[in-house]
Amino acid sequence: MRKLLSLALVAVLALSVLALPASANEKVNFSVFQLKVEIDPMIQAFGKLYNEKHPDVNVTVETLGGGADYGGALKAKLTADQMPTIFMIEGQGGYDLWKDFIADMSDADWVKDTDLAFYDPDGKAVGFPIAMEGFGLGYNAEILEKAGVDPATLTTFSATKAAIEKIAGMKEELGLDAVVSVGTSVAGGLWWVTSQHVFNAFYAGYQEYNDSSVYDALRRGEVDQERLTAFANYLKLLYDNADPNVLENGNYDAQVAAFASGKAAFITQGNWIDPNLAQLEATFPMGYISHNFLEEESTGLYMAAPSWFVVNKQASPEQQKAAIDFLNYMALSEDGANYMVAEAGMVPAFKSVKLQPEGPFSKALVEASARGGNFNWYFGQNPDGFNQGTLGPIFELLATGTVEDFVADVTAAFQEIANK
Amino acid sequence: MKRRGWIDALFIFPCAFAFIMVIIVPFGLGIYYAMTDWNGVNPIVNWVGLSNFQGMFSEPQFIYSFLITLMYTAINVVFVNIVGFGLALLVTGKLRLRNIYRAGFFVPNLIGGIVLGYIWQFIFNNVQVDMGNALGIAFLQKSLISRPDTVIWAMSVVNTWQYAGYIMMIYVASIQSIPGSVMEAASVDGANFFQRVRRILIPMMASAFTITLFLTLTNSFKQFDLNFTLTNGGPAMRFMAKPIRSSQLLAMDIYRTANQQNLMAQAQAKAVIFFIVLVIFSLTQVYLNKRKELEA
Repeated sequence: MRKLLSLALVAVLALSVLALPASANEKVNFSVFQLKVEIDPMIQAFGKLYNEKHPDVNVTVETLGGGADYGGALKAKLTADQMPTIFMIEGQGGYDLWKDFIADMSDADWVKDTDLAFYDPDGKAVGFPIAMEGFGLGYNAEILEKAGVDPATLTTFSATKAAIEKIAGMKEELGLDAVVSVGTSVAGGLWWVTSQHVFNAFYAGYQEYNDSSVYDALRRGEVDQERLTAFANYLKLLYDNADPNVLENGNYDAQVAAFASGKAAFITQGNWIDPNLAQLEATFPMGYISHNFLEEESTGLYMAAPSWFVVNKQASPEQQKAAIDFLNYMALSEDGANYMVAEAGMVPAFKSVKLQPEGPFSKALVEASARGGNFNWYFGQNPDGFNQGTLGPIFELLATGTVEDFVADVTAAFQEIANK
Repeated sequence: MKRRGWIDALFIFPCAFAFIMVIIVPFGLGIYYAMTDWNGVNPIVNWVGLSNFQGMFSEPQFIYSFLITLMYTAINVVFVNIVGFGLALLVTGKLRLRNIYRAGFFVPNLIGGIVLGYIWQFIFNNVQVDMGNALGIAFLQKSLISRPDTVIWAMSVVNTWQYAGYIMMIYVASIQSIPGSVMEAASVDGANFFQRVRRILIPMMASAFTITLFLTLTNSFKQFDLNFTLTNGGPAMRFMAKPIRSSQLLAMDIYRTANQQNLMAQAQAKAVIFFIVLVIFSLTQVYLNKRKELEA
């Protein structure tokens, strides 16, 4: 009897180690794994609606919590054999890493409706643009008006510099802590604003949208010293007129709050701060000027898709088809437009979408898009970890260091990756 | 008694199976991947021998992380044990409400490192700076975690605050196991408080020191969560003529190499070095402490 009992016990213990796979369902199940935490409730609702209207498929949407490491989580899912059917890449680095898992979607209907799809080196459309995002130097129109500065005239470096210096002299009467709300702290996690977005002005500014010659030369290790020095002087101007506490240890919340509460006249952020500004009840009129680091006139903003949905090539053919149908529905149906624009407040990347976003900076982007003369994004093509690991500390050091050191450091950093 | 080897083996099986699957196999795989060019995703893995190990020692960030981790560990072993021991003496003395103090000192240890990091970030970046401004003390006007020369000390303060209560508990248990008669006899013989601590308490607690030193050494060496949330490796500074992160400890350097640069194999090679160094340090420490125990 005791022997039997011990045997049974051993069997139970041994069995508990081996988990049984869940039984299969008749519906086509597929999954979406995405990282934009701010649109989580909206995309969940959209997934639910999609399931209701398409009884033969079942989509589950999963969002990774705020600030978490999406790349690491995706690798963990791969290792656990739970690779999602639709996942996100954020540019060339992500494509290179995951290319064995990225399906060709050239024949999908949504491709014809956008200019922002992600193309692989063979020219096949593989990435579904999640939205259009953009940035420039955001301004608080109310403060500029009180200071007697017309934003329409801020189209060159000297005009921008004169305006910033004029406002800096009137800080007391305008009730400002600093002229510019900009952060560069590694600790506060604001490296991405300066070393990716602001620096993108250097890569792309003053060129045709599809002209990548400056960036291409940079990646060959040929660094235009004159252009880089001009950019560094511009960045130093922003830094010198920032609140040191926000600049050197502030985080995203501190940066946005300073602008939203009218304590700063300018901000270096993109249209994704619209929902935060609404939460902080910032109702003043606002808009964008370009990052003017040269004397050439420019009003262009920096606009592109920040990330793309891709379909897992190694999923079953049924799942891949279901996933592409889902993306088509998101891009081309009224429900999809409603989700992207009205619910999630994004600037749509698809031409057929007629809804307009509500957020003030998003509206400014839509206007700039209609006006033309905008610039592309290239920072996503840098090697993995380069923007954060290498450029991040360089950009932080400029806050207390010199323009000469900055130029030398950036030059050395690009020459190092060019030699690889 | 009849030996029933196979039943014994079956009983051991679940544990042994789990141990092999989650410790032994990954450990072996880890050493293997350290000698490949694996990026974490690509199924094609090429053997590269020891080149991953050669590269890391010419990398300023890694060298700095290595040195700063040793320094951080040294500071912490001293801080945490002195504070922990001091608190243990305090709460085993004739203090009113000593049980409440005991619980109070222990509580920070129950707060997760992530939460704690964010709380202390606020304290350093806001409370400390506001205090400095209000009192006009220049030293406090710039956050201690945004200065490369103070950031490690600031992190040690937070770690001590969190960990000293836990170490205190071990010391308390050890002090309470010493027979009161020994201490009493010493007082009768005219030994003052410091003599009693120095000559009786500390030698009789030798085994507790082995444990606490081991725990503080390994924990500070492996520090990650606090590092990640409190400073995220910042602020930036210059080392070997290159801009680097001044508070990026080894564990975080490995994490970044693996997940931000997607250099899984290099990260794995760093982790192997990390493991070897930690084993050498902790075995030496345990060996030295054990010898002290025998002497005592």
